[in-house]
Amino acid sequence: MSNLAVPSTPRSRTSHAVPVTPAGAPNTARIARSGMVQASPHYQTTRRHSLYGTEDRVIIDPGSRVWKVGFSGEGRPRDVFFVSPLWGLQRAPDLFQREEEDRLLAAQLQTHLRAVFHDSLLTDPKSRKVIVIEHPLLPVYVKETIAKILFENLQVPSISFASSHLLALLSAGRITGLVLDCGELESTALPIYSSRPLFHQLRTTPLAGARLTSHLRALLLLFGTYLPPPTSLSAAVNMPASSRSTRVPLEVLSDGVLEEIKTRCSFVGEAMDTALDSSVMSPMGEDPMDVDLLPSDSAPSESDFSRVSADRDSNAGPTSSDFSVVSRSQVLPGRPSTGEHQLQALADLYLRHSTATDLHLKVTPPVSQQTGTGHGTLIVPGWIRERGSEVLFEGGDVDESSVAETILDCLLKTPVDLRRTLATSILVTGGTAMLPGFIPRLHTELIQAIITSPSASARPPVSRGRPRPPAYDRYAVLRPLVPYFAILNNPSPTHPSGARGSNNAGKAPAFTPATMAWVGGSLAGVLKTGGVEVAREKWDEAGGHPGPEDSTEESDVVVRSTNVIPDWTRTPLPMGAPPANLPPPQMLEAAPLAVVGA
Amino acid sequence: MTPSVSYHCPCLSDDPVPPPPNAPSSSYGFHPLHELFFCEECDAVRCNRCVSVEVSGYYCPNCLFEVPSASVRAEKNRCARNCFMCPNCRNTLSVVPSDPQDADDGRSLGANLSAVGEPPFFLYCSFCRWDSAEVDITFEKPTGLAAQLQKFEDSAPDSLEFERLKEHFEPFLRASSSSSAAASLSGHSHAAHAHATPVNPITAAASSALARDIPGVGKYTPAPRGRRDKGARDEISEYRSRVEVKGTKDGSNVDFMRRLEEVSQVAAFGQRWANSWTTTLHSSELKPLRIPLHSKKTKRCSACRHILIKPEQKAQSVRFKIKLVAANYIPAMTVAFPPSPDPIRQRGAGTKQVPTEGASGASGLQAGGTFPFHLALTNPLYDPIHVRLAVQRPVPPPSSSSSSASPEKARRPPFAVSLPQSAFPIAAFAEAWEYEDDEDMFVGEDDEFGGLDRERGGGAGGGKGKAVGVLERRANVTVVGGEVVVGRDAKGPLKFNMLVSYTYRSDDPLAEDDVRATPSRKEKVPEMKTFSFYTVVDLGTIIPRPRTSASEVV
Repeated sequence: MSNLAVPSTPRSRTSHAVPVTPAGAPNTARIARSGMVQASPHYQTTRRHSLYGTEDRVIIDPGSRVWKVGFSGEGRPRDVFFVSPLWGLQRAPDLFQREEEDRLLAAQLQTHLRAVFHDSLLTDPKSRKVIVIEHPLLPVYVKETIAKILFENLQVPSISFASSHLLALLSAGRITGLVLDCGELESTALPIYSSRPLFHQLRTTPLAGARLTSHLRALLLLFGTYLPPPTSLSAAVNMPASSRSTRVPLEVLSDGVLEEIKTRCSFVGEAMDTALDSSVMSPMGEDPMDVDLLPSDSAPSESDFSRVSADRDSNAGPTSSDFSVVSRSQVLPGRPSTGEHQLQALADLYLRHSTATDLHLKVTPPVSQQTGTGHGTLIVPGWIRERGSEVLFEGGDVDESSVAETILDCLLKTPVDLRRTLATSILVTGGTAMLPGFIPRLHTELIQAIITSPSASARPPVSRGRPRPPAYDRYAVLRPLVPYFAILNNPSPTHPSGARGSNNAGKAPAFTPATMAWVGGSLAGVLKTGGVEVAREKWDEAGGHPGPEDSTEESDVVVRSTNVIPDWTRTPLPMGAPPANLPPPQMLEAAPLAVVGA
Repeated sequence: MTPSVSYHCPCLSDDPVPPPPNAPSSSYGFHPLHELFFCEECDAVRCNRCVSVEVSGYYCPNCLFEVPSASVRAEKNRCARNCFMCPNCRNTLSVVPSDPQDADDGRSLGANLSAVGEPPFFLYCSFCRWDSAEVDITFEKPTGLAAQLQKFEDSAPDSLEFERLKEHFEPFLRASSSSSAAASLSGHSHAAHAHATPVNPITAAASSALARDIPGVGKYTPAPRGRRDKGARDEISEYRSRVEVKGTKDGSNVDFMRRLEEVSQVAAFGQRWANSWTTTLHSSELKPLRIPLHSKKTKRCSACRHILIKPEQKAQSVRFKIKLVAANYIPAMTVAFPPSPDPIRQRGAGTKQVPTEGASGASGLQAGGTFPFHLALTNPLYDPIHVRLAVQRPVPPPSSSSSSASPEKARRPPFAVSLPQSAFPIAAFAEAWEYEDDEDMFVGEDDEFGGLDRERGGGAGGGKGKAVGVLERRANVTVVGGEVVVGRDAKGPLKFNMLVSYTYRSDDPLAEDDVRATPSRKEKVPEMKTFSFYTVVDLGTIIPRPRTSASEVV
């Protein structure tokens, strides 16, 4: 590994082992072979010889929920498909159960990966190099399982792992920016500077697609309406719908129905200006169901709401008198009863701030109630469609900061002199960001979170749903940056003309947020780049085939995982403040080189 | 649910013994017999998870046209002829001509029948009545539609933007790679002298970036901000998008969503998720889809590379040139509950009392009952075989903790299975007309074996009677009876792993020593070979006793 660019600073040393900055010798050697191709990179010249050019790679973007696969050099993925949730945010604590989980994961991954090559792409895996797009927080065991299946079962010649955030940035034509990936399990903000992800400044929050789904489910259970199929065809005509309406049975809200509601019915409304109309009570009477659901006295005042939301964590909940109407049995299991309070308060608030129409969905009735004719009807209130996604913007929790707070926290962690550059080039990717209106709303939230501070505003930060903030002003240092904030792929930037961020906002090409990482992967593939490449020989060497003696297998696995599959978590930690007595620099040099060179 | 038998392929783990059947992962290791292959070289079962697959030909499932592989790539695995799918219902679209000038209701009838038709042709879905004129797609002539559409696809905004991005990054990567070749320079050499040393562009980008003085990252340089911004831009000129996302549909999409009346107005997730380009949400603007090609696959054993399956080339043909399927090598097994349990129970002079009358396989496996079941084995070989069955003893600790929750169940397996202990023969497979003469012999043997088993079963003291043992032998099928005793507190699926070993006369005595590592006894006769495989027998779900809830209350 003599040709590693010898880093001159501690910071860059840590980052050269990052998967997206391939500085290893094998890469350079490989490029030497393909140099001629690079001069004229059009595959048309090579097409006659084989079905695909030898350098055409397979790009796999494996999400925990949706996979996108295709060939490099193409503008869109060939195939997109759902997978059953393959991994979650936690693993079984029990060792035996975890082994079982791993077996299950391996089997399911194998099914999907084989289907990618044999059913979706119809290509021979043995001649296709693969780029796997990895989320920076993709668990290493998942990554290794993927690599093991690709190498051993499908026998691909090589795999590169490339960071999804960086690839998304490439698809926007940039190499510097702050990328927020709002996916299924997590929303993750990662600053990238000059094509190097600053992994240690990464911030994440579990407020993402899965949380949105469960929130929608809870809202629909409480506030949705279900019309069972009429018992006879004549009843459908004679009986008014209101007399048939019932609460929503849990079985109706299958994952498929929720996915449909989320992807087909939901959108993100503008930020609610709660200060203006906190006392105004808009009529809520289109749906007769809703009226009797609501507390009879009046809508809770704003202070009520903030109280409810403030003490949702601590409230033991003896005070259910105000909302006794709401005390229903159909709360999600495991949800404390005080959650109903909060939901009711939220519902009132949201209802006032929504003008969306109610929607009727045909759903399959639950098995126990299949007496009628045809499908049941699920009525999704308009405010759930519009305000269900508010959960993503409700911050205040230390562990689950809102999506906007995640970006700001990330900015706070980055070096001071990078902040402005990053703030002017925020890129939002991921499936959840596909909700119409998500990106403009996020921009509003960003600005609001900074502007709202204990001193600057008299009103409590109700819309942010967090308790009255302490005197400590978290984002004060970011306040001068407000005019610079710009989201690159903001479809409707609302900058005042003078704002300096308007130079960048909305300048990204109109790729959809969900496919940006894939498009970037395709781009990296056609540019003959994209992460450290691990050849199959290397994998075989490192892992060896354990052969008959099983005793050595355990150690083999360990060796393999530390050496072969690159992962940023294995790079040494960044230097903090230098210690008083600096160690000699040679020693600092040695550690990362060993990791990379092995 | 009908009881079933699935066969184990050990490719998922290094352990030849399958995991306990209640573990969720175990279902991935078991397959129905008709999905399995058999490699003669390795003398092993292969499944669709371990064979290596090669494409031997592409064809369109709609028009059955064999697509030459040269055009597969260019057409993105889609049919390049006239085959389209309806974007709403995925039905195949048909090409119809326009209405004749005067007959306004004769579109589907008269116009279709006329050989030529009126020129603007369009695609029509006979199921949901979608037609491509809705999205302004019409054709001048009714053939080669894909070619006529090709020009639109070539000018799709995503591919144009993609090319532009490529052009944007290429010089940058080349320049930075050459500058990194001159490693000492600090990244300012934009002189694009194409260096002879070709470099991975991102490698180059990275290394040039590493060599550079990185503003703000490395050391603090008190330079003015403006200069630093410029420095960052120097590296790569700002990308100007062909089509900026600003001003695309998102704003109107929010309004559209807000006023939405019908869900069907919005295109489903699956209809737009492969679009990498921001498009409208309206389902009324979906475009027809070209039908994806299918492939004919050749499958090889991953260990020895021998071909297991090779289809005939022609798309119309459903035959195979090579077909080594496991059904031709290992006995097929079916499991069933006896059609009416009563006669069997009477004949068995049951000491076991079946608590609920009529608790047969049809009505379900009640907890606390005893149920006979029949296992029919069919010999596909031209030689008679001897089969020995063994139930895999569930290993207590793992199986218990995997079968979640109930700790009292963990102590002992919730059911016990008895099967014939001794080996029993199955006659050779033969053509149908050869059986008639031998019928007497089989009947005789059947009696003999049945009697033997009854005797043995009685000796074992189980008093199992006729329920366990060889029940019937005809042609190349032998039916053996088994019995399952379900524990009182049992619940969940009744599945057990069963090791099947069969002995057959080997044609090739040399190959004897690569008999699989399963517990294969050496036969006395040297040319006999034993092959073993695991199966999982799924008898259905145990119905918990209603009594237990009552007892809990008391």
